[in-house]
Amino acid sequence: MSLWLRRLAPLAVVVVVAAGCVSTNSSSGDDSDLHGKTVNVIGTWGGDEQAAFLKMVEPWEKQTGAKVKYTGTRDINTVLTTGVASGVLPDLAGLPGPGQLAEYAKAGKLQPLDNVLDVNTYQSETAPALVQLGKSDGKVYGVFIKAAVKGLIWYNPKVHDYGANPPKTWTDLMSQAGANQGAAKAVWCLGVESGASSGWPGTDWIEDLVLRTAGPQVYTNWYEGKVKWSDPAIKKAFQLYATDVLGKTYGGGKNAVATNFGNAGDPMFANPPGCELLHQASFITGFSQFKSHTAVTDYNFFPFPDIDLQYAGAVEGAGDLFGMFHDTPAAKSLMKYLVTAAAQDIWVKIGGALSANKNAADYPDDISKRSAAILANAKSFVFDASDSMPTAMNDAFWKDMVALTNGSKTVDQALSDLDSAQKDAYAS
Amino acid sequence: MSTLVKQQAPAAAATKALSRRSSSRRGRFVLNLVVVALMIIWAVPTVGLLISSLRPQSVLSSSGWWTAFAPPYHFTMANYRDVFHQAGIGQAFVNSLLIAVPATVIPLFVAAFAAYAFSWMTFPGRDLLFVVVVGLLVVPLQTTLIPILKLFADWGLTGQFLAVWLAHTGYGLPFAVYLLRNFMGSLPRAVFESAAIDGANHVTSFFRLAVPMSLPAFAALAIFQFLFVWNDLLVSLIYIGLANPDNLPMTATIANLVNSLGGGWYLLGAAAFVSMALPLALFFGLQRYFVRGIVGGAVKG
Repeated sequence: MSLWLRRLAPLAVVVVVAAGCVSTNSSSGDDSDLHGKTVNVIGTWGGDEQAAFLKMVEPWEKQTGAKVKYTGTRDINTVLTTGVASGVLPDLAGLPGPGQLAEYAKAGKLQPLDNVLDVNTYQSETAPALVQLGKSDGKVYGVFIKAAVKGLIWYNPKVHDYGANPPKTWTDLMSQAGANQGAAKAVWCLGVESGASSGWPGTDWIEDLVLRTAGPQVYTNWYEGKVKWSDPAIKKAFQLYATDVLGKTYGGGKNAVATNFGNAGDPMFANPPGCELLHQASFITGFSQFKSHTAVTDYNFFPFPDIDLQYAGAVEGAGDLFGMFHDTPAAKSLMKYLVTAAAQDIWVKIGGALSANKNAADYPDDISKRSAAILANAKSFVFDASDSMPTAMNDAFWKDMVALTNGSKTVDQALSDLDSAQKDAYAS
Repeated sequence: MSTLVKQQAPAAAATKALSRRSSSRRGRFVLNLVVVALMIIWAVPTVGLLISSLRPQSVLSSSGWWTAFAPPYHFTMANYRDVFHQAGIGQAFVNSLLIAVPATVIPLFVAAFAAYAFSWMTFPGRDLLFVVVVGLLVVPLQTTLIPILKLFADWGLTGQFLAVWLAHTGYGLPFAVYLLRNFMGSLPRAVFESAAIDGANHVTSFFRLAVPMSLPAFAALAIFQFLFVWNDLLVSLIYIGLANPDNLPMTATIANLVNSLGGGWYLLGAAAFVSMALPLALFFGLQRYFVRGIVGGAVKG
């Protein structure tokens, strides 16, 4: 065996060198040399998202003659962890969040994109906060292929149109909602059920409240594990959630726990309405009754109001980060293509997604246009905190939001449980 | 009188027999009732899924499947149509077959040889080896993913069917060996001894005696292993999905019907039935092997 290897080794070197020569020669040529090449892509998208992504890469495939092989899995974390540990990786991959991006970049697995992308154009077209989230040690390692704005408050304009005078502050919101409740049974629509990840709509609530009561700095320290859960700054958000949200929820907390987040807004469209307002991200328009109703006439939104005015203009969002594990010419070319406004416009037009690119403006309706504007103009932009926490912390956060919502734990119990979870979660 | 008495006696015996028969009939009726009730309870979730798979999404999210029996009737084949229109489902079905058939046949063969050796051949360390093999039953396959993937990467096997065949063979073997050894070990010793006296060597008695007499165990094992491989998502996702998505089986395609936020869940019922079709056909096809006892009468003559 070893004899064989020894005989083969020089041969292999020759082959590698030859291949290297070929590739360096051809990379100076035009795009046509990608013909027949493939790019392996792994992401979390399935169903309509997968279809939209494949549509998005179609022009690139036509232009270069290369092919995209896409695998979708919602277990992206498992698959990538295994892949990174064993060295078998796709060319491009959707990354679970900025935490993993930094981890893989430090381990030398992700390839820097500074020489792949036209960095100046990319930075001028993309919200600075999003560019920042894709960076590690000053280099760009990840780009957002798709984004979402969290913390939008949805209402039914036929019940009361908040368009003329959207609530500016939390107090304003609570008093307007009380005054315009009319026939509605409650102020808030709430549903936190979501299979194994049940509780995340509740974590989004807390995140939006923390961001606006304590500001972006505390928010960041909090998900990094530097602020305790029982800290007054965090506790305040939990108390606000318990009194102003849970206390005014349609059907009470027990109903909210049994309601899927996608169906939570359904009572808003009933007659008489069950609830007035739904707090949910921009992607809710693809779900349940939102899908069967018309934007603007049947539903609309206003941004989450400020609470402490010194932190005005802070926005929470989420998105799909994309990184490159192998810098093959085809993968580079695809990466470069994906962030362009032309490519982004294809997905944007299909709907259900916002683009991180300001110049992608082909939004199908006013609602997505306005959410995209919030994303582009945010004074400070933060990423979903629970998604940025270690997995164990995130799971505990989800579970305790379910417990808090259905009343099996009080705010203090939930916070002390989260404190003890925090001690272990950040250890490794 | 005496004739009367004589006549009455058989009549009494007859009524006694009748009442015994009727009581045993009643007993059987109760037994049947219990069995049928159990079967109904057992089948309810599947029936519910089948009905749900035929209902449109708007109705699905607002009422339970049992309301489908009352008018107004809302049934649709749209879910099935969407599943069949999912990109690459045909190729994925073929891939599933290409993965599942060899990944069932290979471990079955290896396990049969091993089981024969463990039950009818004597060699030093036999029992220890058997304990080690059975001990592998408790190793969770998830712990092997990274080291095996590394190995496959060194061998250049990632993304190929061969990788999944080997992996499933490894994962399936401990149980297969255990089951087949227990079955072969319980075959009558006299059969093998008389064959040996007649001059049969191990190869002959394996192919002529052990294999034909173990067919029911083979059939049961084949179904277990086939179902395990057919329904597997993780193993193929790791060994194939990372390197070559074109070879992914149907489970991966089905999982992709649902988007990252859970939208499209209503298609899963229809998808489950599409994926269930082949294993069901297989089960009914092999069913008679479960029932047929082959060992009975094998020692005759």
